[in-house]
Amino acid sequence: MKRTKAFTIPYTIWMALFVVAPILMILIYAFSGADGGFTLANFSTMGDYTVVFVRSFRLALIATLICLAIGYPVAYLLSKEGPRFQSIATVLIMLPMWMNFLLRTYSWMAILENNGLINQFLGLFGLGPFQMIDTQGAVVLGMVYNYLPFMILPIYSVIVKLDNSLVEAAHDLGANSVVAFRRVIFPLSLPGVLSGITMVFVPSVSTFAISTMLGGGTEYLLGDLIEQQFLGGAYNPQLGAAIALVMMVIVVLCMWVMNRFGEGEEQAVVL
Amino acid sequence: MKKNSAFGRFFTFLVFLFLYAPIILLIIFSFNQNNSNVVWGGFSLHWYRELFQNRIIMRSLYTTLLVSLLATVISTIAGTFAAIGFYGLRRRARNALTTVNNIPMMNADIVTGVAMCLFFVAFFALWKDFALWFNSVQTLLVLPTRLTLGFPTLLIAHITFDIPYVLLSVSPKLRQLDKNLIDAAQDLGCTWFQAFYKVILPEIKPGIVSGALTAFTMSIDDFIISYFTAGSSSSTLAMTIYGMTKKRVSPEINAISTILFVTVILLLAVINIREARLEKMAQRRQAAPSATVAEMAGQKPHRTPFLAKAAAAVACAAVLVTAVVGAFQNTRQPVVNVCSWGEYIDEELITQFEEETGILVNYQTAESNEALYSLLKSGAGDYDVIVPSDYMISQLIEEDMLEKLDYSSIPNFSLIDDRFKNLPYDPTNEYTVPYTWGTVGIIYNTAMVTEPPASWSVMFDDQYAGNVLMFRNSRDAMATALLYLGYSLNTTDEAELRQAAGLIADAKSRGVYQAFVMDEILQKMEGGNAAIGAYYAGDYLSMAENNPDLAFVVPQEGSNWFVDAMCVLKDAPHYEEAMAWINFIASTEANLRNMDFIWYASPNKEALEQYPAYYEALYEEELDQETYETMAAPAEVLERCESYVSLPTETRRLYNELWIGLGIQ
Repeated sequence: MKRTKAFTIPYTIWMALFVVAPILMILIYAFSGADGGFTLANFSTMGDYTVVFVRSFRLALIATLICLAIGYPVAYLLSKEGPRFQSIATVLIMLPMWMNFLLRTYSWMAILENNGLINQFLGLFGLGPFQMIDTQGAVVLGMVYNYLPFMILPIYSVIVKLDNSLVEAAHDLGANSVVAFRRVIFPLSLPGVLSGITMVFVPSVSTFAISTMLGGGTEYLLGDLIEQQFLGGAYNPQLGAAIALVMMVIVVLCMWVMNRFGEGEEQAVVL
Repeated sequence: MKKNSAFGRFFTFLVFLFLYAPIILLIIFSFNQNNSNVVWGGFSLHWYRELFQNRIIMRSLYTTLLVSLLATVISTIAGTFAAIGFYGLRRRARNALTTVNNIPMMNADIVTGVAMCLFFVAFFALWKDFALWFNSVQTLLVLPTRLTLGFPTLLIAHITFDIPYVLLSVSPKLRQLDKNLIDAAQDLGCTWFQAFYKVILPEIKPGIVSGALTAFTMSIDDFIISYFTAGSSSSTLAMTIYGMTKKRVSPEINAISTILFVTVILLLAVINIREARLEKMAQRRQAAPSATVAEMAGQKPHRTPFLAKAAAAVACAAVLVTAVVGAFQNTRQPVVNVCSWGEYIDEELITQFEEETGILVNYQTAESNEALYSLLKSGAGDYDVIVPSDYMISQLIEEDMLEKLDYSSIPNFSLIDDRFKNLPYDPTNEYTVPYTWGTVGIIYNTAMVTEPPASWSVMFDDQYAGNVLMFRNSRDAMATALLYLGYSLNTTDEAELRQAAGLIADAKSRGVYQAFVMDEILQKMEGGNAAIGAYYAGDYLSMAENNPDLAFVVPQEGSNWFVDAMCVLKDAPHYEEAMAWINFIASTEANLRNMDFIWYASPNKEALEQYPAYYEALYEEELDQETYETMAAPAEVLERCESYVSLPTETRRLYNELWIGLGIQ
């Protein structure tokens, strides 16, 4: 297998150019002022944004937990269906992503509006209208909706590969279904759970489209804050880079701590 | 194994319903008669017909499919070999490389996008120096000095974020592979590549297929990374949609998504039915003789996995569509890159211009003046023609970012009303040709307010708490507060500005605002979801078409009146084409059609005067005088209004600080 090492060279160069170098650019920006000189000023004001950091991480965490609570049972139930049902279902879970996420989120706006589908329906029974859109709840809903497939698929891919004889052995040894699940199936599916959590949490914590469209744009999330600096009304790429850097560091730390609990290298597949 | 209970099945069904409900809604509204996504106006295939004539959508569809396909193919091959390479490495080296590989997945899309944009722009700057030096020392080869973002950079970005997914899918399969198999194959005389082809590949194929499918899905769904790396000349479907989700999603977008979606569903169904039939045949064949050894061992008869076939079928369909759409493309055409606002042009004008001149128009949109400025500054937008507003124009001129126009190639400039020439933002009129003008005011739903508002105070009162929509851009939002407080909307006085921001912040904390919006206001006001909102007169008229309950007022304290004008960026690569475009748009005919489509007043004197007659001829009914005066505010209204001027850097910084402060709160 010696020659295969050479295969890493092109991709390593590619990564150095298009992954590492751009990140270095962010690093340089984060530590420079508008005039280009070195400064720590971008970080000195970081405390002002604590509220936004807390808000973003809280909402992303809630969304991730909901995704896990919905996604795990679905993945588990799916793995018990027939092979044809499984293969169709996995594709069906992925398929919504082919409809652009902006469109899907836009569609949610029409559903949740004060005069939207749900409120119109409730109105038939003389209920409401309830304020659903432009709330944090709507933002969480948007996150759950958009990233749920990222939770289901990795968990499913791990569970479906589980050796069923392990479960049978547990039963033979006197474990009931609950115990077998808790002691055998769940621990073995952890790699899937961990990658699911990562894949839901990271985009949730940095989203800006969802919070603008469903959250009313009144309360910034980290993504909004960064977007404002790079693209929006408050152009300041240096500060944007600094915020992005702090966010990255926190996310990486979270993931690192979490992966300590799982098996380091075993990562699950998306599909 | 236990079968799932009815409850379990029901739960799964509910989750699928949740995933598909908005999509079903989208599909339903693609058959809507009118252009709303909320109000059903009857069944029609109108938008499907429109779709195939909409070059912007078709072109972005082509770009999307092309970049997704190429990125998928390249990243699948590269990712597979990289995975094999990683597999052969020692543990420490492998872990290090895997960590780097995971960066694009772990990183927020917006950071990846911005980082790549910064990187490309920095590279282009270095390249320019190098090329200039290289061209000066030898004469054999002339290198291009100016590189820009475009399809190649878009492709590089897509490949970069696709490969990690392929790697992530292939690596576990490799780890399951018995190393001895490869050695055995080589011992038996296979070369490495034979061993790869005959031993490794069949084993890791499911991983490759699912990696490819994931990569393709990610490419199709990506918006933000493309937004930063595509440059001005190519747009993906997501970028086009982004420009459109602002006002209303054009139902054409619903239609194209429906087509894509139904195609994939049909393909899946066909494959599935065929599979089922093949399986049945196989079963029948095997029914007579006793069970085979394989079956006794519990193995299924070998067949290509469903997923592989699905992926192959999807790829075929995508290639087909790309080829068909691509056949209509002509890449050697002269082009002009234009950036404007969402739904700010009658798109048929673009088609007409292209047909008349043979110049291809790459048309993109930005959200606001500030967003446009950011795009230009970061280097992500290297447009030829932009359509900023007055105060942004003077800022751009100050920063030497605009090119002077060659008015001898714009004869239609003479048609522009004199009162829109030599305005303060361009006192000697060397840089601009006005595009539209109008006023800002309060839009209200007569069915939801007790009495028509006359003052900006309604934007800050508790009276309509939870039903007020505020601007989501600092300049306009602050202006409403400044006007209410009786200050100039161009004030640079820090105390006044802080007081204005405090007014908004206070109202926000009391729950006055339902949302901070830009073009989303159209959908919200049309659907009767909010009672009051501040916005532009032209957009009000566009909303009123869909909701007759809406009304508009320029408040007594006065308001902002604005001019948006076409300008050309410094060193624009397509200067002559830009002149041709500006001249075309300044013509009376184009102005009439634009006015009719976007409801913003034209600065073209003839067009503005002729519009009522034009309207009457077109719709066979008289144009309401009030409508006309809302669009083109009469002198007595304009007297109350002030136009924005560019603010000094200090004040702009204060605006940013106050604005971000509002969002954090």
